[in-house]
Amino acid sequence: MIEERLKAIILRALRLDDFTFHDDTKAFQVPGWDSLSHMVIIAAVEKEYGIRLRNVEIIKMKSVGDLQALINSKLHKGSG
Amino acid sequence: MNRNKTLWSLWRQNAETFPDREAIVHWSVGEEPIRWKWFDLINKARSFGRRLYENGIRQGEVCALIIRHNPDFYPLYMGIVAIGAIPAVLAYPNPRLHPDKFKAGLRGMSVHSGLDWILTESELAPQIRSLACEEGTTVRAILTPLENLERLEEPDIPEVAVSADQVCLLQHSSGTTGLQKAVALSHRTVIAHLENLAAAIKLESSDKIVSWLPLYHDMGLISSFHVPLGSNVPLVQMDPFEWVLAPSTLWEVIHEERGAVLWMPNFAFNILADRTREEDIEGFRFDSVRMLINCSEPVRKESIDRFLTRFAAYGIRPESMAASYAMAEVTFAATQTVPGKPPTILAVDRNVLAGGYAVPPNSDSPVRHCVSSGIPIPGCDLQIIDEQGNVLGEDRVGEIQIASESMFTGYRNRPDLTAEVLQKDWYASGDFGFVHDGEYYVIGRKKDLIIVAGKNLYPEDIEDAVSGIAGVLAGRVIAFGYEDIDLGTERVALVAETALTDRSELEKLIREIVETVMALDITLSKVILVVPRWLVKSSAGKPSRSATQARIAGNADNTGILLIQTFGNGGD
Repeated sequence: MIEERLKAIILRALRLDDFTFHDDTKAFQVPGWDSLSHMVIIAAVEKEYGIRLRNVEIIKMKSVGDLQALINSKLHKGSG
Repeated sequence: MNRNKTLWSLWRQNAETFPDREAIVHWSVGEEPIRWKWFDLINKARSFGRRLYENGIRQGEVCALIIRHNPDFYPLYMGIVAIGAIPAVLAYPNPRLHPDKFKAGLRGMSVHSGLDWILTESELAPQIRSLACEEGTTVRAILTPLENLERLEEPDIPEVAVSADQVCLLQHSSGTTGLQKAVALSHRTVIAHLENLAAAIKLESSDKIVSWLPLYHDMGLISSFHVPLGSNVPLVQMDPFEWVLAPSTLWEVIHEERGAVLWMPNFAFNILADRTREEDIEGFRFDSVRMLINCSEPVRKESIDRFLTRFAAYGIRPESMAASYAMAEVTFAATQTVPGKPPTILAVDRNVLAGGYAVPPNSDSPVRHCVSSGIPIPGCDLQIIDEQGNVLGEDRVGEIQIASESMFTGYRNRPDLTAEVLQKDWYASGDFGFVHDGEYYVIGRKKDLIIVAGKNLYPEDIEDAVSGIAGVLAGRVIAFGYEDIDLGTERVALVAETALTDRSELEKLIREIVETVMALDITLSKVILVVPRWLVKSSAGKPSRSATQARIAGNADNTGILLIQTFGNGGD
């Protein structure tokens, strides 16, 4: 389940009005999400959530659902 | 160096002289690097050569390689060369590129340049396989030579007599609508280039080359594969795909491996400066870096400044900044800055430059900072010519022509295209520039090529795809590149005529245009819909890219513009 918060970050970074994200949505399916904007999205996610994604984690991510799960696990660890 | 050598004899000699020396370090993030020593590398290349020969591959036949980051890619490539066949490294399919477009590109290559064999991974084979059966292609079979490596044959290859003048590799340009050309290079020209380029950058055996560049690109294949192998300088090869996702991983490699020489397109300097987080490089040192060569898209002063400011504290020195002007048609480099000296930056009057002269600016004239690409490398000559073909003197802007010991033998099977650009030993680059104090400055392009992040895009590919969309007036589409200083590269804009007027229909059309172009693995950053007959026609009656760009720049009142949308990189 992709949270509204993550969706808003991605839409803002890509300057999109709307897009329906699913867990298995891949970057290449989203207009404007190429390698250059990928870095912008990662930076925006890190800033917004106050977390750090490691390079190896960024490389292993396959879908928006993976990104959401990674954010969740970081937030969970941070609070626990 | 003996100029009658072949690549294979050169490699074999390196392996015999330095069997235990590291040749290639294959690097993947989060994994232990795989370190190829010369002895093992050459033996595996022999084994692959044997396997390919037994599969029926013979001297002079073209072997397309479609293989992702893989430690066995290197000996396989060398094995092809060992039996006198011709390797052609091609881009692999990626999810962004629609499978039909990938196949169309491949089909274009197989029809134009005569691919005989396709060597790929078993995972990619099904996508490619149907192509071999299609009419008009020359592909005889799709092979997966990296399978069953435990059953690889003994390292003995059949004796094949290869002359230095035979073609040793093909370098394809990109494109999806049959515009691809295959640059053919001989052993003699490539080996001469390795020698000349090594001299230009004072390459030494103590250097180590680090690269994340894809090997289907001439910069990657020549500078960061053939140069290290031919010069017996170790190469650390990263996965281009991993680098794009996490650029700062490059610093880990440079720090760990003590990287000395790197080639990168301009945008990478921006990306690294902007996207390296402090904790990614904490405790690292980059003093080992001797040359960072900015190449394959226009070199920008802002990018160099930003990079130096960001990494000076980590040991990156101003004198390690370097630049080169290069193209596949002369094997690779035509000019190179002098090692140990940063590229000269020349301030010129922007207005006068547009009129064809490079002169210092007055106090009130707009300034353009031009970055030098250096002096001709050994074995290479350049001249600047005007439209009538007269050679121009210093500070005069004209087309850059190049004569080189490493000139290509032609576009394979395309003598017509070869004749267009190669006349009496001079290659017409299609780039505009000038020479000042013996140094060359490249300032623009005659061709309408768009270069995004070091990758060449052809506006025709984009225009063809968009022209077929319902709602767009057929043939009334223009794509062009525009400068993005912040990203250090170009972005792609598109203007299309439509008879639609309803706002929601226009928005829907823009979405469709963006998605259609996505299938080409190209991101549009700006789409402009205009009323019919808005685009400016050239004398040939087709919409003119340059005249349309000028109209957009001067169209302050937005006359005839129905809707403009920009995309991507809106936040930071």
